Formats: sequence, structure tokens, C-alpha cells
Amino acid sequence: MAANQGKIPPIIRLNYKKGDLIIKQGDYGVSIYKIVKGKVGIFNEGGDREIPLATLGRGEIIGEMTFLNRGTEPRSASVRALEDSELEVWHPSTLIKEYEQMPPIIKYIVNQVIKRLVWMNQLVGKFSAKKEQVIDKGEKKEPGASRRIYYRKNLDQECVYRPVDSSPKVRLGGRIKDISLQGVGLEVGSKNAISFSHKIGDRFYISMVLPSGKKLDFKTKIASVRSDRAPGMLFLGMQLTDISGEHNKTLGFFLRS
Amino acid sequence: MAIDQLVYAYVADEEAYSDKTVVIEEGSKGEWIYIVLEGQLKVKKRTPNGTVINIFTLKEGDIFGEKLLLEPGKGVRSASIIAEGPVRLGVLDTSQILRDYEMISPQLKGLIKSLILRLEETTEKICSMATKAR
Repeated sequence: MAANQGKIPPIIRLNYKKGDLIIKQGDYGVSIYKIVKGKVGIFNEGGDREIPLATLGRGEIIGEMTFLNRGTEPRSASVRALEDSELEVWHPSTLIKEYEQMPPIIKYIVNQVIKRLVWMNQLVGKFSAKKEQVIDKGEKKEPGASRRIYYRKNLDQECVYRPVDSSPKVRLGGRIKDISLQGVGLEVGSKNAISFSHKIGDRFYISMVLPSGKKLDFKTKIASVRSDRAPGMLFLGMQLTDISGEHNKTLGFFLRS
Repeated sequence: MAIDQLVYAYVADEEAYSDKTVVIEEGSKGEWIYIVLEGQLKVKKRTPNGTVINIFTLKEGDIFGEKLLLEPGKGVRSASIIAEGPVRLGVLDTSQILRDYEMISPQLKGLIKSLILRLEETTEKICSMATKAR
């Protein structure tokens, strides 16, 4: 333990060009980013308007909220590079273990702070909305190349899924509750977790049919697990890790429609 | 909502206040973290132009005073807390909480700090926006 103390979990450095989207509100993910160079803006997306919440620079951290929330909620805000920026990405596998061992009182306090922060961010949004009605007319938005037109969609579709290392005969059932290009929200019976591990980082094949009738297969990784949405059910925030080009197109088409 | 047993174990003392009592005054010094056991309280903050705005309502199970984790010993209260109706508060064992907090790894502490700071900044931002909106 002592040898690992103070060591930072696996790090990748990424470069973003001015205008690039780094985190998309509504996506699932638990990575934490530290700004090495440049400036980023945090904002809420309300309809097609972006409501700025904060500007962060060198040395500051983003993504800690979703991480400390254990990824049980999708990203609460988007982050965009305001100038060419370099970010360190920590995939917090080591931190997750440490988080689990954190004294319950500290977890409780952290959850309280998150709850209040979500509330405050909404308040900022409300104030900005009032102000922007005035400003918006004069100001034209740049149609930046990185501007995304895909969003997360809520749905309620049956699916079958199985752990990637299980026999192809295994068929577990669940319901896809939301979907984006980055991942899905999957609701399953807690009993599924008795025979197969459903922990953060576990990988699964998922097979589903979209409301349009198109079939979709992909590979995912659990980013979050929560059990308080409905009794006897688990709600899994899953990151999409692998999808064929053709199915990706199907999904993109569905999300835009 | 019942108070979590794990949290209740940290309650060192209980205090009761009547309606409209100022439990914490913005700008004062204080070294306690509280939990609401019963009742409701308003969190109010002064804006730069001197008006006071409501920023939050604390309910049963909610904690306040957590900013203490940022710099123990130098706690200046960043908002006023006022009882709305009779309330019962639990005073948490701050030294035990700080000991627990010290056990966490530097990275995790960094994240928690960042989170609490973000809350502070956002609250300040709301105050200045509320000022401009007037």
C-alpha cells in the first residue's frame, strides 16, 4: 500500500483544438481530466443554447463530480476547449478502489456537496437564460466543425446481453433505457448479478432492436451501477467500447432522427 | 427520511433552535459540521451590493459546514443558516471526521477539495449574477 500511495493512476495526455468538445453532457464516463495547458469552458446545454458555468485553466480538475458520484449519473455539464489545450486523462481504476474504502461519513459529505452543486448549477442556468434572451440576438454562433448534433435519447427497448468472457449460449435480459453514441443506460434484474459479475469495468456484448426495427450489436463496459432507481433492479451506465461501422451508422441515424 | 446510522454515529451533541434563529452567521468563525435531524433551514448569502438572497434549503439528513475540510482551523462561514420553524441539529464530531479525511489518499482528497471549491465558486457566481439581475 505504502509504495502505491501518492502514485497517480494510469494517465494519458490528450490534445484538443480550440472549440473541441471534451466532455458531452448526458454521456456516461468516469475519467478525470487535469488541465496541463490551455483553457476550457464548462457549460450546461439547454436546448441548442450553451450556458457557461465556469472557465478553468492550468492545474484545475474536471470530471471529479461524476467520478465522486460514482458515475451513477450521466455527465452533468459539457466541457469545451476555449483554446488549444492539453489535458491529462486519468482513468481512475485505482481511485475507484480507494473511493470504496473511504470512510462512510466522508462519502456522505461528498454526496451532499454534489447534490448542492447540481442545484447551484441549475440556478446559474436559470439566471443565464434570462440574460441570454437579451444578448442572443446580436451574437451569431460559430458553426464549429466539432459541434455535435447527436444527443442521448431515452427509450425503453428489450435487449439481450452477456459477459464477453461467457459462453455464447448465455442470454441475459434487460431493458435499454437510454442510448447515445457513447453508451447506453441498461436496466436489469438484480438477480442477473448473482450468476455473473456486474461490476464497474466488466465488459458485455449487447444485442438490441431499435424502435425503427434495425438490429444493433455492440460491446460495452460498465461505467456505473446504481440500485436505487427501482426495487430489485440495477441500472447500469455503460460505455460503448466497440461497434461495427455499419451499426454505428444505424445508431447515428437513429439518434438524429 | 431516516438519518443514516453510519452518520448518526458521528453526532456528538444535539442542539435545538426555534423559528428564525440564526444558527450560523455569514463571516463568523466556526469549526463545526452539522447535520439536520429535524426541520428545515434556509441558507442565505449576502450579494456584493448588500442584498441577501436565499440560495438553498437544508432538510433532514443534509449536512452543512463541510467547507471545514478545505482548511481546518481557518473556517470562516460563507453563508448564513437560519431556522425555518423549529429545528433539531446534530453537531458532528469534527475531529473524528478530520481524522477520517486525513486517511484518504492525496488524489482523492484533491478531488474532494476541487469539488468543494467548485461549489464555493458557483455560489459566488450566483451571488454576483443575482446582483446584476437587479
